[in-house]
Order: sequence, then C-alpha cells, then structure tokens
Amino acid sequence: MVLSKPETGTPVLEMAHVAKSFGGVRALVDASLTLYAGEVHALLGENGAGKSTLLKTLAGVHRADAGEIRLNGGDFHQGNTRDSIDQGIAVIYQEPSLFPDLTLAENVYVGRQLTSGGLVDWAAMEKGAQALFDRLGVSLDPMAKARGISIADQQIVEIAKALSTDTTVIVMDEPTAALSSKEVERLFSVVRNLRDQGSAVVFVSHRLDEVFALCDRMTVMRDGSTVASSLISETSESEVVRMMVGREVSELFPKLEPKIGDVVLEVRDLSLAGQFSNISFDVRAGEIFALAGLVGSGRSEVIRAIFGIDKYDSGSVTLLGKKLPAGKPSVSMAAGIALVPEDRRQQGLFMASSIARNVAVTMLKKLSSWLVLRRKHEESTAAKWASTLQLKFADLSDPVERLSGGNQQKVVLSKWLATEPTVLIVDEPTRGIDVGTKAEVHKLLSQKAQQGMAVIMVSSELPEVLGMADRVFVMREGEHRGTLDRSEADPETIITLATGGVMSV
Amino acid sequence: MKTFKRLVTARELPVFIALVAVVLLAGIANPSFLSASGATDILLGVAIVAILAVGQTFVIVMRHIDLSVGSLIGFTSFLIGDIYAQGYGLMAGLGAALAVGLVVGAVNGFLVAYLQLPSLVVTLGALYIVRGVFNDYAFGRTITAAMVPPEIAWIGLNRLGSIPYLFIIGLSLAIVSGIVMRRVKAARDLYAIGSNPAAAELAGIPVARRVFGAFLFNGALTGLAGAVMLGRFNAANANSGLALELIVIAACVVGGVTIAGGSGTVWGAFLGAILLQAITRTIGALGIPQFWQQAFNGALIIIAIAFDKYLNSRVKTTTIMGSKDA
Repeated sequence: MVLSKPETGTPVLEMAHVAKSFGGVRALVDASLTLYAGEVHALLGENGAGKSTLLKTLAGVHRADAGEIRLNGGDFHQGNTRDSIDQGIAVIYQEPSLFPDLTLAENVYVGRQLTSGGLVDWAAMEKGAQALFDRLGVSLDPMAKARGISIADQQIVEIAKALSTDTTVIVMDEPTAALSSKEVERLFSVVRNLRDQGSAVVFVSHRLDEVFALCDRMTVMRDGSTVASSLISETSESEVVRMMVGREVSELFPKLEPKIGDVVLEVRDLSLAGQFSNISFDVRAGEIFALAGLVGSGRSEVIRAIFGIDKYDSGSVTLLGKKLPAGKPSVSMAAGIALVPEDRRQQGLFMASSIARNVAVTMLKKLSSWLVLRRKHEESTAAKWASTLQLKFADLSDPVERLSGGNQQKVVLSKWLATEPTVLIVDEPTRGIDVGTKAEVHKLLSQKAQQGMAVIMVSSELPEVLGMADRVFVMREGEHRGTLDRSEADPETIITLATGGVMSV
Repeated sequence: MKTFKRLVTARELPVFIALVAVVLLAGIANPSFLSASGATDILLGVAIVAILAVGQTFVIVMRHIDLSVGSLIGFTSFLIGDIYAQGYGLMAGLGAALAVGLVVGAVNGFLVAYLQLPSLVVTLGALYIVRGVFNDYAFGRTITAAMVPPEIAWIGLNRLGSIPYLFIIGLSLAIVSGIVMRRVKAARDLYAIGSNPAAAELAGIPVARRVFGAFLFNGALTGLAGAVMLGRFNAANANSGLALELIVIAACVVGGVTIAGGSGTVWGAFLGAILLQAITRTIGALGIPQFWQQAFNGALIIIAIAFDKYLNSRVKTTTIMGSKDA
C-alpha cells in the first residue's frame, strides 16, 4: 500500500480495515479511507471495487462486519441513516434523491424541518434555503416544487441540504455522470468553495480528467480493498488507471482491424423541427460510425428517429435497400436495427426482473414454442451471453437491480446483441461505468463490428470516439458539421466542429 | 402578492370554484336549492364522507390506500348502538368503537409498514374480514332509533343556526388536521414518504413507524366516526357503510389528493367530499334522473386525475425551457 506523506492534524474521518460481506459475496475485504478537513478526496476504483459499499457503510445504510471507523478522533456510531446524518455525514447519491412534490426549501430540511413553538416554520425554511442557495451562487426559488428541475440543480439542492446542518464530511457519488460541461464547471466551483471553507469532500467519478482537475488526494480501491492512497500531484492518470484495473493502459481501447463491407443503412435528409435538420449519412457493414457533438446537439434525437421512437418530419431511412416507416420501432427491430438507450435504468432494463428474463426479452418469439416461453431456452441463452460478457452475478435469476452499473450495461448490450442485428445503435455505451468494464464493452463492440455488424455509437467521450470509430460524424445544434475518417479525427478538429470554432471547451 | 400567487395556484382553488359553480347552477335552475334547508341537507349528507376523507388523506399522501374504512365505520356504528342497547352506556360504546378502530388500524399498519405488504391488498382483505365479522356479529339484527344513545341522536338531529352539528364536527376535524398536516414534522414526513419512498429512507425518516402511525390514526378516526354515522342515520344494520370507502377515495382524488402520493391536503379532500355531495343534490335539483349521478361522479374523478397530470407535466416543461438559458 502506497501512502503519501502524512498530513498535519487529526484526520476528520478514518475508516480502517473495513470488511463487509453480503451472503457469500465479500464486497469489502480490507478497505481504508482517511480524510482531512479542507480537502477534496477522490475515491477511485472499478465498479464492484467496493466504493459504494464503503460509502454506504459510512452513510448508515450498511453496517461493517469488521474494521474501525473514527470521526474527528472519536468513535463513529454505526447505526442507521439518521445516525450518520446526525454525526455530520452527508451523502449525495449518484441519482439525487429529492422529493418531487415538496418545495426546494422543504427538500433542504427534509426529516429535520425548522420549527418554532413545536410547529414547522415555513418562513424560516424559505429564508434558510434562500441563504444557502445564495451562498452556493445559484438562483433557485426555494418555494418551487422540486419536480422537473435538472439533475444539476437537484445536486445543488442536495449540497444545500448537506450544508444546512453541521456537516463534516460530504460524499458525492459520481455527481458529474449526467451533467453537461457547463454544469460540471458550476459544480466544481461549489465543491472548491466547500473545500476552502473547511469541509472534507469525497468525490467519486469515473472521469479521471475531472479527478485531476478537482481533487487534492485520492484513494484507489480494487476488489474490496484499498490498494493505494496518495496526493493527486504525485501521480498520473495512467498510473491511477493501472492501479484501478491492475493491468496496462494499452488494453483500454482494443480496436480491431475493421473489415468494412457494403452500405447497410442509408439516412437521407432526415429532419425534425426544432431537433435536427438535413441529416444524411451511410453506414457500412463492419464499421463503427460515431455521432459526436456536445450534449444537446441532436445526436440522441437522430438515432431515436432512425430507430423509430420519435417520428421525423421529412427524409428517409433505408436498411438493406428497404425503406423503413417512420415512428415504428417494432418494424425497425424486425428489420434488424437494435438500440441500446442512454438511460438504461429507465429505458433499457426491467429492473425487478431476472437477468435471464432481461436478456431474453428481445427474442421471446425465438425462445418460445406454441406461444409458451421455454424457460430452459431462456436460461441457456442468457448463460451464453453472461459468459461472453464476463458478467459478474450470483445467479441468473437475480433481479437486475442488484447488479452494478457496468454489469447492468452489459445486460442491456447482451439483450440486443442476442437479436443479432444488422445495425447496432449504442447511445453513450460506457457512461458511468468503470474503466475495466468499459474496455470489455469496447472490445465487444469492436469484435461485433469485425464480424460484420454495423455499429452506430453516440458518445460524449472524445477518447472513446477517437479510439473506437472508423468514421466520426460531428453535429452541432441539430446540423451536420463534418465527417472525419479515423485518420483525420483528432480532439481539436472534433471540438472545433462541435462547438463552431471555439477551441477551449 | 406572494400570498395571492400561492392562493391562486393552490390545487384546492379549482375544486372550490367547481363547488361554487355547481351550487350557483343548481340555485338558478331550482331556487329552493339555495335555501337554508337545501344547504343544510348537503352539509348533513357530507359529514361522514368528509371525516373519512380527512383520515384517508393521511394514508393516500404516503402512496398507500385504506379500503377497510367502509366496513369498519359500519361495524362501529352498529357496535355503539348495540352496546348502549345492552345497557353498558355511551362511553363503553365509544370505547369499544375506538378499540376496534385501533386494532384494525394496527393490523393494517403492521402488515403494510413492517411486513411491507401492498396496502391495496392488505386493506382489501381487511374490508372483507371486518365485514364478515360484522355480519356474524349483527346476525340479521338491526339497530333501531330506540337503541341509539340519546346524546348521539341529539347531535345527529340538531344544528347550530342552520349548520348541522355533524358537519361542525367534520369541519373542526378538517381544520385541525389541516394544520397538523402542514405544521407538524411527523405529518410532513408522510408527504416525503409518498413523494419518494426510497429517498425518505435515505433522509433518515422513520418510514415504517410513520406508515404504521398513519394507518393507526385512520383506524382510530374511522372507529370513532361510527358515532357520527349512527347519529346521521339514527339506525344501523349489517349493510351500514357498504362501499363507502370508494366515495371517500373519490372525494380525496377530486379534492386533489393524488393517488400517487406526495401531494394534496386535508382541506382539499374535505372540499372534494362537499363537491361530490353537492353534485349529487344538484342532479336532483335540476331534475336529471338520479341514474346519472354515479356517472357524473365517475367523470369528475377522471377529470381530477387528468387535471393533476396536466399540472405536473406543465411544471416539467416550464423548468426544461427555463434551464436552457441557465
């Protein structure tokens, strides 16, 4: 274990040799985390490395089987979520957990509303929330309902919630996964502010560039144990990645030599008012075709239209010489197009159903005889895909919601790959999943392409686009800005096209 | 200005406007409808549903439901009369009614809060079990006017000015409960639980205890409301309170207590109960066949839900447009 030079003063939080098992699965083996006041501390590791379990132990969701937790030099009482909150631990979860029907002010003070004379004091809560929003530099109406506010604003409300009590440790679990770059900047300035005011912030992110831009120190976990802890300034991205995955960085983008075939999909002059206009491109068999652009540039809308989720106003989509009707996903599916959506929880998975059922759901017809689904066929198909994708699970009959984010994404992918589509469309295929699983997903896409599948990939991550794509189609504000071959594609060119000339993004 | 804005955007306002419109419409068509006795009729008829709607609101804002109230109130109204008729007195009857209400509420609450069974199924079961026990207990007997405790009969018959005492009981309950729901911490937790159950756990809210408490409260309230029902009808039999739970839930929904939990007020539910009752009466006053009454109520429920859905979707679009320039 690599330890950096000791900081001065007592640590705010010391978690030492924490262990936790669920049934037979050892989620935490020997996890340690030390935090000091006034630092932003990155907690890094692949999905399944144990970061979430460790943080949930701190949050009072789980209780450690072994190990020691000390807060401000004293004992930390491991009780329930309330006890942790009362001891100054605030956790901002990956999916913010606001109450849509309550006002922002009440969301800030939920569970411990301000009172006067034993009754809830609404005016005081409004004032308090307003003061917190002002301090965070955001303009939110404390008396507005939380329903419908952006994820970025939801996080700000969660931070305000953390600040409304004597919080010593603020944990942020992948806060940037769903934010635009502008929103990330705002979040960073808020976090820096908190740090300067003496809070200890734990920051979990899979985007290493963010970690290096924001954090002061980091702790790396692998397979339930802490493997390293050091100052950010004393390490490098490639070193961190090596520690996280325990293997070399060069394995990260295993792009295989493509075997490009004939055109399979023709998109001509596709337009949808307010979303995109005059989008035309061809995709060939064996090709990985990337749609690049900023969030909101219309990429996702284009693929939704191609697949038939949304209707388009004009233009055409032709698959293998046959024109597809607009707005008919079932026809597109039958014709050989598959879409792996961006929001896998909402659109891609039946969270409470088993892994096997989720994988098999796209080919119920194939697995059924006389309208009755053959459970054996379902399970054998699922087992085949689970091993191909190196899915980590206890049992195929486990509900999907028990899997980690990366493994959920694999289930979505296998569900669609099992239909053996001619064209596979993936929207942000590796968002929010760890480096190791990312590499596996990339390898899989690359293999499928080499076997002749046409892959359309929407991605906001430039390294992914550059590493995977044979051609890059860049969009800005709903319009086509240029198409780059693999040889011409570099970060500067893509960003220039995507932003319309502004180089610094 | 702010207060005014909140008043106009309150979910209760359209219910109130609809109520005024219905009453005016009926009054124009049939002036006797607006007379004091016409209003008294409505207020008297509404008392039971209004009281149960207040209790039901505590349950529905948690995204739960309590279907057992119709059977329960029928049973306790019978019980109060029966115990009095056997010579044990009024207080013994009320005590028994409260006890039965607490037991039913506690069993419902325990199964829903601690065993995490769906409230729809648990309270549907309770609806039949309580009705079954009730039928066996009543065994063809009826409570007649002579068996009703005189205090209860008096309250059921008399009024303050032209306002029936039964309505005043319901109104006082609604006013107090409304303040409780808005200003008491534990009651605010109910809204949080209904709005986002998983987040409520994470926020450290004692979810199970609150869910149990709300069912217990609704059971106790319903049990005691048996006295109001006995006062209203001055009689009871094994069919008392039959299908009443559906009218109660309809009143809540019409009054803006969303079935998906998290929003709605006791006052809204109270207004909803009055609106439904006023429509029932109006249909009579306008000479429309009674046959249409239930269809009107049904349409009103669907309109109320569509309205809530519209309100929610409108909130969403405004923020999305608003955040674009942020």
